[in-house]
Amino acid sequence: MISVNNLSKTYGTKPVLSNVTVAFPSSRLTSLIGPNGAGKTTLLMMLARLLEPSSGSILLDGRETSSIKLSNYAKRVATLRQSPDFNLRLTVEELVAFGRFPYSRGMLTADDQHAINEAISFLTLDSLRGAYLDEISGGQRQMAFLAMTIAQQTEYLLLDEPLNNLDIKHAVQIMRALRRLCDEQGRTVILVVHDINFAANYSDHIVAMKDGTVHCIGAVPEIVSEQKLQQLYDLAFKVIHDKQGYLCNYFTTSGEQE
Amino acid sequence: MRTGLYILFIVLCCLSLIIGAQQLTLSDVMRLSPDAWITLSASRMPRLAALVLTGAGLSVCGVILQHIVRNKFVEPATAGGLDAAKLGILVALVLAPTIGTLGRLLFALTFSFVASLIFIAIVRRIRFGNTILVPVIGLMYGSVLSAIAEFYAYHNNILQSMQGWLLGDFSKIVQGNYEVIYLILPVVVLTYLYAHRFTVLGMGEGMATSLGLNYPATAAMGLILVAVTVSVTVITVGAIPFVGLVVPNLIALLYGDNLVRTLPLVAAGGALLLLACDILGRLIIYPFEVPIGLTAGAVGGVLFLVLIYWRSRRCA
Amino acid sequence: MRLIPRYILWAGVIVLALTFLLLNSGLDFTYVIPKRLGRLAAMVIGGVCIAWSSIMFQTITGNRILTPAIMGYEAVYLLLQSLLVMAMGAQSLVILGANGNFSLSVLLMLAYSWAIHRWLFRNGRQNVYFLLLMGLVLTMVISTFTQFAQFSVSPGEFSVLLSFSQPSFGRAKPEQLIISCILVATVWLSIRKNLPMLDVLSLGRDQAISLGVNYQRSVQRYLALIAVLVAVSTSLLGPTAFMGIFVANTTYALTRSFRHRITLPMGCAIAISIFIVAQLAVEHIFNYRTTVGILVNLVCGAWFLMLMVRTRAGA
Repeated sequence: MISVNNLSKTYGTKPVLSNVTVAFPSSRLTSLIGPNGAGKTTLLMMLARLLEPSSGSILLDGRETSSIKLSNYAKRVATLRQSPDFNLRLTVEELVAFGRFPYSRGMLTADDQHAINEAISFLTLDSLRGAYLDEISGGQRQMAFLAMTIAQQTEYLLLDEPLNNLDIKHAVQIMRALRRLCDEQGRTVILVVHDINFAANYSDHIVAMKDGTVHCIGAVPEIVSEQKLQQLYDLAFKVIHDKQGYLCNYFTTSGEQE
Repeated sequence: MRTGLYILFIVLCCLSLIIGAQQLTLSDVMRLSPDAWITLSASRMPRLAALVLTGAGLSVCGVILQHIVRNKFVEPATAGGLDAAKLGILVALVLAPTIGTLGRLLFALTFSFVASLIFIAIVRRIRFGNTILVPVIGLMYGSVLSAIAEFYAYHNNILQSMQGWLLGDFSKIVQGNYEVIYLILPVVVLTYLYAHRFTVLGMGEGMATSLGLNYPATAAMGLILVAVTVSVTVITVGAIPFVGLVVPNLIALLYGDNLVRTLPLVAAGGALLLLACDILGRLIIYPFEVPIGLTAGAVGGVLFLVLIYWRSRRCA
Repeated sequence: MRLIPRYILWAGVIVLALTFLLLNSGLDFTYVIPKRLGRLAAMVIGGVCIAWSSIMFQTITGNRILTPAIMGYEAVYLLLQSLLVMAMGAQSLVILGANGNFSLSVLLMLAYSWAIHRWLFRNGRQNVYFLLLMGLVLTMVISTFTQFAQFSVSPGEFSVLLSFSQPSFGRAKPEQLIISCILVATVWLSIRKNLPMLDVLSLGRDQAISLGVNYQRSVQRYLALIAVLVAVSTSLLGPTAFMGIFVANTTYALTRSFRHRITLPMGCAIAISIFIVAQLAVEHIFNYRTTVGILVNLVCGAWFLMLMVRTRAGA
């Protein structure tokens, strides 16, 4: 299980995160939601060891993450930020192969090849194997990057706004894939997501943040309620919960709550 | 703060008139003895005028370029303008050695203008432009132009003297030799009249057009103003780096980017910086002087480093 | 598909080398050919340094346009030479000796790179672009000093200075070549086993960390190695500005690969060929009316401009 204790981060005198304590349940999909500037990405980046906390600790299965060697950490936690727009001429397969770096450092073995193939077929990217990254669509590229993190075969997967700039079909595909990773492979997935509907329908657990602190935590049924969401986003919500799932309507409800 | 700036300016002007290899005291100046008058009129006052105009002109150029390219780190030295002017003068010297100052100015101007156009075209290709990439490219672009100039100069054996003109040096300013620098005055005035338009220009082509501004025409005019200032400066004084970079950034940090309000400050700031550097240069190894290119380069460079360090601290 | 061009290129290099050695030499094995061998050795070592330093630098900065020269190394070298000539006149070469000059400049450049790394990485600054900005400013400041020095010396001294600021293959003495060889071999030993790490670095900071690479430490390490390579090539040959970009970009175009295992050797082949061709051109086509340095700068520089205008110089 991965957890944070009294985590804080300040830039100069500006506090971005204040005393955040959260335990992320294992083998579950947890979404970090909240308005802009709430500190969600900052929290995720610290879990990913892309950012140093100003104070507080992060524990992975009871051990302080700062004491774990980075190369070992990569075998347990993989991070995906928004797919960068770089100009490397890589094929999808070559990109996914990079995911094996923590294990084989560039010398691919049969096991590695197996993991790569598995990751590619998990996301049904087989037809795009040999395509170059700059020739496929944004959605397909994001899937390729996800395949790379899957090939890394880590217990924990951290994703920072993976659905940005994606069309509806690809967004659904990615969320479904993440859901399968949790259910079929028992991985723990933590993601920062803006769209409350995706969060509500695919997560098990929600951590809602506002102004650098935790607003509320709990399982989806507890958090996805009109009152809680109104407090979080300062918007009037209408939540419909039926067999299909959740539908949060904040578009046509009247007025803003202050 | 503003009045302080202007007072400082006047004080430095007086100092500039007094300091120099020729001993002059304040009383000499007041009395206007014939000796004093010669020194003053032939050398000190022209020098003062050149200093003020160059400083104001270069920093105003910097501001214009920064708004056109939409990058805080461009100025004639990092956009190839200076090197293009150098190339222009070189070509003029080789092709038409007797052409005189005005003719050389024209060459320098054309080269500088065309080079800026090419630079802008290059910069537009850079999407996702990381801020630092643009001046780096500008510097390399300048080196290419320099390489061409060197090729030409080596061929014609004037490589060393070319290095000479490029180094900014105000001791060359003597009455009869420098009048062309007064061209900067209309440039600064025009810029002030167009200040509002240049501010809008800085918001980007999309926004400017939607606000009804003729983007290409205004940008072209800005470039012409820059080219005029740069060529005039290079011909009379030589190249002075950093002024166009440091002063606009400092002023923007303190007073924002609204040119209508800040342009006079930018001009005054530039003049002030050059005055200070010049006085420093004249005092350090009195009675000899350190050329302004060196002092401005050193002082400007240090100031710039402090500036970026400070800025980076603020946005950690 | 890739193997064919590779072997052809290396074969081409060998042909060029032989042409350079033997053309118009009258097969004089006592003087002409040994001298040419010395120059060839300088070209090879210099080419290797330039190719490796540029490719690695571009990997770390994630950009196809940059080159280590903008970090200020070449500016420091020119300043050193200018100061030497200013201080000791044209006699500086006699007093210091070619080897002394070489060692001094290598040491100075290493010291400079150590200084900027210490200063810049002190606060845990992980932004490579910040480093570049510093390099840019320092280059400009140092250039002003250099211009001043160059202007203050007499024309005779200036020619001496000029000869140092232009790349030349004939300057290198055997001792310098040996020292350079040793340094380059050391660098090779350091990077040899970790080429895949360089590949990962080209994915960018976030991805590299996610894959378990200690980004900051790796970048520091590679920058130090690049510093050694640049110090050697600049001291041995002189400043070569744009050649690095040209070599790096041509390598990517020819190999169509990102793997350093392939690009590094290819880059060497290209760099060495360029040198040999340029030298042959100066000797036989231009009849010494220009220098290798100016020619290379001109061609590579113009090519650079074309590259900028034609392609999308992104990220």
